[in-house]
Amino acid sequence: MISLKKYAFRQFKKIETRAHELNYLFWEFTTRCNLNCIHCGSDCAKDSAFKDMPLNDFLKAIDIIEDKAPNFTVVFTGGEPLLRNDLEQCGTELRRRGFRWSMVSNGQLYSQQRHYSLLNAGMGALTISLDGLEASHNWMRNNKNSFEKVLNAIELAASSMRLNFDVVTCVNQKNIKELGQIKDLLILKNVKAWRLFTIIPIGRAANNPDLQLTNKQFVELMDFIAEQRKTKNIDVKFSCEGYVGKYESLVRDSSFFCRAGINIGSVLIDGSISACPNIDRSFAQGNIYTDNFYEVWQNKFQPFRNRNWTKTGQCKSCREYKDCQGNGFHNWHGNKQNVLVCHHQKIEQGSA
Amino acid sequence: MKNNRIRNVLKGLSFTSAMFIFQACYGTPQDFGYDRLVEGQVTSETTGLPIKGIKVSVAGDNSYYVTTDDEGKFSFYSEKEENVLIGFEDIDGDENGAFRDLFKTVEDISESVYLEIALKDKL
Repeated sequence: MISLKKYAFRQFKKIETRAHELNYLFWEFTTRCNLNCIHCGSDCAKDSAFKDMPLNDFLKAIDIIEDKAPNFTVVFTGGEPLLRNDLEQCGTELRRRGFRWSMVSNGQLYSQQRHYSLLNAGMGALTISLDGLEASHNWMRNNKNSFEKVLNAIELAASSMRLNFDVVTCVNQKNIKELGQIKDLLILKNVKAWRLFTIIPIGRAANNPDLQLTNKQFVELMDFIAEQRKTKNIDVKFSCEGYVGKYESLVRDSSFFCRAGINIGSVLIDGSISACPNIDRSFAQGNIYTDNFYEVWQNKFQPFRNRNWTKTGQCKSCREYKDCQGNGFHNWHGNKQNVLVCHHQKIEQGSA
Repeated sequence: MKNNRIRNVLKGLSFTSAMFIFQACYGTPQDFGYDRLVEGQVTSETTGLPIKGIKVSVAGDNSYYVTTDDEGKFSFYSEKEENVLIGFEDIDGDENGAFRDLFKTVEDISESVYLEIALKDKL
């Protein structure tokens, strides 16, 4: 018999899905990047063939949104958003229209001057990636100076009381033994929140064994996060990348709920309308250059809002399906006949 | 309204904190709105004309400021706190006229504030 808590959360998810209130919109602001990382969290491909999307094109798409949700946030992502000199102008225009905005950055160009100009333009939240101590971070970034620069960026961001700022770390073979030291470093830099990911095997990460954790290591990671959450000096959590069974209440603030296409949308570099940028691009639901963005959000997105189609492959007979619903949407790539990563299975096998 | 009530009850029963706000996997946390827009215009008390080049800042934070434009206008986001002291300082000497500094306390914590500032001539 399922617990009341589980039952209530399932019903809560149904109501949220039915309402599908858009309140979190990625804007793939540029695909240019100043680094060439071994792994890339946005689309796992370095492709600067696309021109940056002009501000007016994006504004035309979102100006038609009706009944905007409170705290509606536009998240600038890339590529590296700081490569665009009109970032502050774009942010200011969004604030003028009643949107909030935030940014995901590698921190390489995050100088003090830029920090202040971004705050002046109303940036309210920021995420910076730190993938290890000096050697492992620089290895991942393919750049021997990136650690020093990112630490400088983290110090600046953490100094602001008004920014909702967190650091993200992709856990891999090179940094899994460093997690305790990374945590100490972040506390020393006054960081209040730290989010940990694993890397799904797509793009450049597909054939690099250094980027994947074994099942046992994944369990180690869950145990590490659960343990750190008992101490209150920094808010450590596992990302929303997947369903983690018995660790659900131990590693996050809330149970797993992939909100892609339910509350999260995106406008990608070519104008495609989708959800998180790391989702297979074949799931695009329209394009801002040919479709009405808000109509697409309201009336399409069926594969996101009814996930019964994910009851295939190993998910078909899974006992956890009602709580997992096919795991994070970004785990469905290629022919979509099976989930790419099953975190729950990793835990079962890694705990054996 | 009814749906919202049901939603909140279910949220509570599932121990999802009322304060919980999600964030996407590769996204940022959500902005809680800890800032507010401070904008306005600076003019000369004597002539009524706009003054360019006045430094506008939250007092005590010298590294963080904007300067007024040709129309004497300024705009920036600052911490949403009570009793924030905004400074208006003539930092360009006689270039756009010479004016006495002025500090204005913004008492409330509204989402935005518009300030009309008239500076006295420097004696």
